[in-house]
Amino acid sequence: MLSDLTASARRLALVGLAKNTGKTVALAALLRELKGAGRRVGVTSVGRDGEERDVIDSRIEKPRVLLAAGSLVATTDGLLSASGIPHELLEETDVRTPLGRVLIARLRGAGAIEVAGPSAAAQVRAVSDAMLAHGAEQVLIDGAIDRRAASSPDVADGLVMSTGAVLSEDIAEVVARTYDAVELVRLPIFDGAPEDGRRIRVLAGGDGSRAGMVVEKALAAVVLPPGFVLSSEGHEIARLLDEHPDARRLIVTGALPDRFLRELASGARRRGRELTVVVADATRVFLAERGVEWYGRQGIGMQVLRPIELLALTVNPLAPRSHGFDSGELRALLGEAIADVPIFDVLHPEYGGFQEPAGL
Amino acid sequence: MPREVDLAAVKPYADHLGDGLVQMSFTLPVPHSLAARRAALELAGKMGFQEPEVVHYEPLTEGYTYFVMYGRCVQSVDFAALQGEGFDIEYMSEDEVERFAEERLGRKVVVVGASTGSDTHSVGIDAMLNLKGYHGHHGLEGYHSFETYNLGSQVPNSVLLAKAIEVGADAILVSQTVTQQNLHVHNLTELVEMVEAEGRRGDMILACGGPRVSNELAKELGYDAGFSKGTEPQHLATFIVRELAARVSASG
Repeated sequence: MLSDLTASARRLALVGLAKNTGKTVALAALLRELKGAGRRVGVTSVGRDGEERDVIDSRIEKPRVLLAAGSLVATTDGLLSASGIPHELLEETDVRTPLGRVLIARLRGAGAIEVAGPSAAAQVRAVSDAMLAHGAEQVLIDGAIDRRAASSPDVADGLVMSTGAVLSEDIAEVVARTYDAVELVRLPIFDGAPEDGRRIRVLAGGDGSRAGMVVEKALAAVVLPPGFVLSSEGHEIARLLDEHPDARRLIVTGALPDRFLRELASGARRRGRELTVVVADATRVFLAERGVEWYGRQGIGMQVLRPIELLALTVNPLAPRSHGFDSGELRALLGEAIADVPIFDVLHPEYGGFQEPAGL
Repeated sequence: MPREVDLAAVKPYADHLGDGLVQMSFTLPVPHSLAARRAALELAGKMGFQEPEVVHYEPLTEGYTYFVMYGRCVQSVDFAALQGEGFDIEYMSEDEVERFAEERLGRKVVVVGASTGSDTHSVGIDAMLNLKGYHGHHGLEGYHSFETYNLGSQVPNSVLLAKAIEVGADAILVSQTVTQQNLHVHNLTELVEMVEAEGRRGDMILACGGPRVSNELAKELGYDAGFSKGTEPQHLATFIVRELAARVSASG
């Protein structure tokens, strides 16, 4: 069951590859199972959960979020009072969202509630820790649309990823895109000597304003100009490669956008070079059409200083108001492509943890 | 005699409270005729309107008829239950924004805006930022208290963010046409994620605008505010200076 596999993560992030891949359905399944096991949970959402209708396409009905009595929740003042659930206010945070101020409360009764907690990763971590401090045994952090920031090891201890038919009408394309997303999340850990790793951590830990740096063979680091990784053009990247013919590693402390990687790959290929780009964690990497493997074939490897624990993959075989696949077939194809991750369709009769929601 | 508004059952208002009267207009792909008029009446009835009435109809082009109708809406909403949601901002005028910024912030507010990704429409950004502005109100460029950078349209997120970091932006404003096909949603979330990846989320106010952008959508996307049709530059300015002031006082 999903709850068993994810029990190790005190702060568990649920991230979808797109809207309507079934994050909230996975959340609901987890909540049912954890309630059955008598575990006290805390819940927050980087977006908004438990709303009746989709915010972009109002024809799509969304699953409700049902919380057991004793659960903790981080949501806005308005949504908390609209739920009508009796509660004890634990904290008024200074987090302001477009839907109001975020409060942390303990529910005195059970019921359906819309959850809208902080959006910013640092604040997500802060409210998660606050709920743990107030007695939650596990905090579930629901994602929104395709946002990944909350799955960073800076925020969460584990990840459940949701994918589904909504990605493409072609089942092979759904599998391919899911595979790419999983490869990205499971980027290898920095493989240099431990002392190099420490050195890099110190370099990367600076004041946050460093865009990145080239590390020569001898680990003499050359700090790049601010904004270089974000906005440099192909010829600037080519010049960088020529100025540092021995460089094997590039440390990127912030975001690593696809347009930089593309230019780096083309520059490296023309020079017959291979480079490893080291990032803090996978949420800093922004790929577009090409995946990790493609860049690897171009001679551009990627490594992380801190890994993300991918604990399970959930599948929604239906694309709302569009098409659907056979759940078993989709899971089988994903299983062939992606090793070492349990794959679930929590709404499928075969799923052990599923029980008809019998109310609370 | 003015009647009390029943906030638990709010209905459209035309002549008197609670009459539920709605004016609507639409086009049907049928020729201008009495049959077309009957079709419009029947359709309004199916929409749930009582006493539908065609007050005007005219041929739009061959085979199409344009209607203006009235109808009585029998539904109501519980406004009292909704009031807690969202910021009920009282907007300031341009002068008030300038004064507020001078007193509470004491420095220029830096805003960088763009239409990101493949979106070729820069109208919304231009209306908010450029001196010419919108609806007789000038854009933030015309404010003493603001320093603005309008990067135009089809700007990659990473380039927008690099500029924002370079100029020390307090706020980033992006405009996107959001479609039901989700096409542009990824672009909007990617910017938020990149700001996070750069470790700048705490330093920057992120606002997005577009014809379908609501506060609910802004929340899902990870923005601090969403602005839709009808937003005037001083509305955006009010939000930015108030939010900045709140952040300044929160950080002591």
